[in-house]
Amino acid sequence: MTPALEIIGLSKTFGEKVAVDHVDLAVPQGSFYGLVGQNGAGKTTTLSMAVGLLRPDGGSARIFGADVWSDPSRAKSLVGVLPDGMAMPERLTGREVLTYLGLLRGLSKEVVAERAEELLSVLELDEAEKTLVIEYSTGMRKKIGLAIALLHAPRLLVLDEPFEAVDPVSAATIKTILRGFVAGGGSIVLSSHVMALVEQLCDHVGVIDKGRVAAAGTLEQVRGDRSLEDTFVGLVGSADTGTKELSWLSR
Amino acid sequence: MTAMTTVLGTMAGMKLAVLRHSMSGQKAGLVATGGVLGLVLAGGTLFAAFQSGDLLAAAYAVWMLGWILGPVFSGGGDETLRPEYFTLLGLPPRRLAAGLLAGAFVGVAPAINLLALAGLVILGVRQSPAAALVALPAMLLQLAIFVLLSRVAVAALGIALRSRLGAIGTGLVNGAILAALGQVWVFAIALGQTGGITPEASAVLRYLPSGWGLAAVEGAGTGSWDRTGLALGAMVVLVALLLAAWAALLTRRASAARASARGRRPMTASTPSGAVVAKELRTWSRDLVRTHQLTFALAYGVFFAGAPLLLGLDVMLAWAGPVAVLMAAAMTAGVYAVDGTALWLTLMIPDAADVRGRQRAWLLVVGPPVVALALGLTAVTGGPWPPVLAVTAALLGGGAGIVPLISVYALVPGTDPHRRGGNPLRVSEDDGALTGMAYAVLALVALTGAPAAVVAVMYGWAGVAVGAATGVLCWWGFGLLAQRRLHGHGPELLQMMRTGKRPPSRQGGWVRIDELPKREQIITALCWSVGAIPLFPQGIVAGFLKAQDSETRSWFLALHLPEAFQWPVIVFMVLLGLGIYGLGLWIPYRHRRSAAVPEAS
Repeated sequence: MTPALEIIGLSKTFGEKVAVDHVDLAVPQGSFYGLVGQNGAGKTTTLSMAVGLLRPDGGSARIFGADVWSDPSRAKSLVGVLPDGMAMPERLTGREVLTYLGLLRGLSKEVVAERAEELLSVLELDEAEKTLVIEYSTGMRKKIGLAIALLHAPRLLVLDEPFEAVDPVSAATIKTILRGFVAGGGSIVLSSHVMALVEQLCDHVGVIDKGRVAAAGTLEQVRGDRSLEDTFVGLVGSADTGTKELSWLSR
Repeated sequence: MTAMTTVLGTMAGMKLAVLRHSMSGQKAGLVATGGVLGLVLAGGTLFAAFQSGDLLAAAYAVWMLGWILGPVFSGGGDETLRPEYFTLLGLPPRRLAAGLLAGAFVGVAPAINLLALAGLVILGVRQSPAAALVALPAMLLQLAIFVLLSRVAVAALGIALRSRLGAIGTGLVNGAILAALGQVWVFAIALGQTGGITPEASAVLRYLPSGWGLAAVEGAGTGSWDRTGLALGAMVVLVALLLAAWAALLTRRASAARASARGRRPMTASTPSGAVVAKELRTWSRDLVRTHQLTFALAYGVFFAGAPLLLGLDVMLAWAGPVAVLMAAAMTAGVYAVDGTALWLTLMIPDAADVRGRQRAWLLVVGPPVVALALGLTAVTGGPWPPVLAVTAALLGGGAGIVPLISVYALVPGTDPHRRGGNPLRVSEDDGALTGMAYAVLALVALTGAPAAVVAVMYGWAGVAVGAATGVLCWWGFGLLAQRRLHGHGPELLQMMRTGKRPPSRQGGWVRIDELPKREQIITALCWSVGAIPLFPQGIVAGFLKAQDSETRSWFLALHLPEAFQWPVIVFMVLLGLGIYGLGLWIPYRHRRSAAVPEAS
């Protein structure tokens, strides 16, 4: 079966720094894939290249077999993306953002209105009907971002740090929706550095360290009989991770 | 008191450190260029000090306007040290303001202005030793007033831009003042007709805060010490008041909501392009910075074209519309930059015609008021209809084409709207480049009006057809180019927005000025800023006057020399000017990229 997302030898160098070094990953259809790594390991860069937001120095990415760079229209219609910390049409309300992007995707006016209504109510954004996106809290921004990603009924979701700085209530809502998406046959890739979260949600895991894949496979294959956190620290931690104390705080 | 001095010293030191570190990039070249221009202006002011007190008072009034208005056009002024940086320290507002003021005094602009203010000392020395002595504190107080006025103006504008009425009001005032500066010849002629600066004007110039230092020095010179005391005292009081006002404004800035809360009407668009128009129109009406820009452009057009009415001339009045289009295009030059990384959405929907939608929205916003101005004012003056209509049509199309084109080809990375600080005018970290782009757009859009203007002047109504044709062509063609660029280089543009840095030039291509070593940068910038002086005034203009056997000698060096040397010196000046420009080109050419740099394809 064609993987939902196939990353083949993606590489990117910024100046002197090799950010991503020949990363290969395959996200099977119907899987919930967690990409874990330290800050600066190359998760965001890899995902940006995989969905066509950053041009790779080498390698390619395919979404359900469609090459992101040579067949962008088909590839991009199959994927919904939630990037971390990017701007949106800031001076529109949530409903207006969804209407605007839905029409831009070529959906009919009626379909857009219906889906926007449902997304806003499920994501509990309908109370802030008159609030512009620029006034949204971090949790609300993530939720409207997720709504944007889901709007055109994609079959793959690529989410960069979807739970970063999100309050527990919003996080619970997002988790419910994501689980429902996978249960309905969709595939998800999300990046995170919270191991517990990945363990709780995902069935597949890829560990990225210093721009390379340190381990990848099903959750059981990667962690074995240890916790994911121990496995992760074993894979990427340096030898002397004995925690040092701050001299002026210990009495 | 020690706490206060620590804050002052620390902030001044911080500013110095930031300046030192930022002198490496393109900023060094920019600072050098600005510095040279400033030195020329300061030199002119010192020259005025040798002439008359009235002239000096007028010069200081212009400096003051520059301090107040400059930040409006250069992205919110000097924001090296931002109040937001210090919110967690819990400093009392006045101490924070005083500290920021200490930081504000460290910089190129205050140093140059201090030089210009040395004119007070010159004037004092010409009068009496006591006057020279008074000039020293007067100079420092005057500088403090200028710097503080600038800060208070920026802070007040920031507050005003939180309400629609404020945005419109400041747009009107700023447009009027800048137009008056642009049409300063009108006032010069008006003064000439009344025989120089009238006693009333002379008095007014001294009542302005920019003239108080002068008044103090002159008072000391003539022995009227009460006047000196009054002026110095007033300056001290004003500094205290401005500092208090600034401190009050700073506390309001830190606690800011920025968007306007207005009735939301539902989106009725039903096509992709219509959706872009709807989004853009909403952004135009809800972003008060854009409201300010539009009001500013219209006010500038009206006042610029209306200024000659002071002399009883109405020949320019009909041109308010075209002038407003130019200004509107320049103000909106960063149409993609202001959206920041929201560009990612455009990239994810490759088939959407984003550029066309933005063009339509731009025309819908700028077009109606400009056309109304052009029709209304041309009706008032009774013509000339063909050139005004021709140029208006050509410029509207040209602006709608050039604005998105420049915005994607010479993208200046903007700060994401939700990450901007408390200064609503600051939409980019690279404000110098943004200002440069505004000027480029001004010139390019003006060029698109040239064919229609020429035909209209020569053949009348045929020009209108040409204007409409070039307008449509520019709109269509430049829009297409912009759309292609967005498709082809979208990821690179997005990366630029994300990092806020422009990527290095391509292999074998010319290097940008900010990639040169620091010394070469400064030399190149100097070449580009001073090359015009020998080439144009000292060379070409002098030669023109000489060929006309004109009596005017002014500051044209060649015309002051014995007859035999005049032509050789003129030729030398032209060659010198060309040589300086040539050097400015040759330095970056010599540094063409040879190292392998990944090329964007």
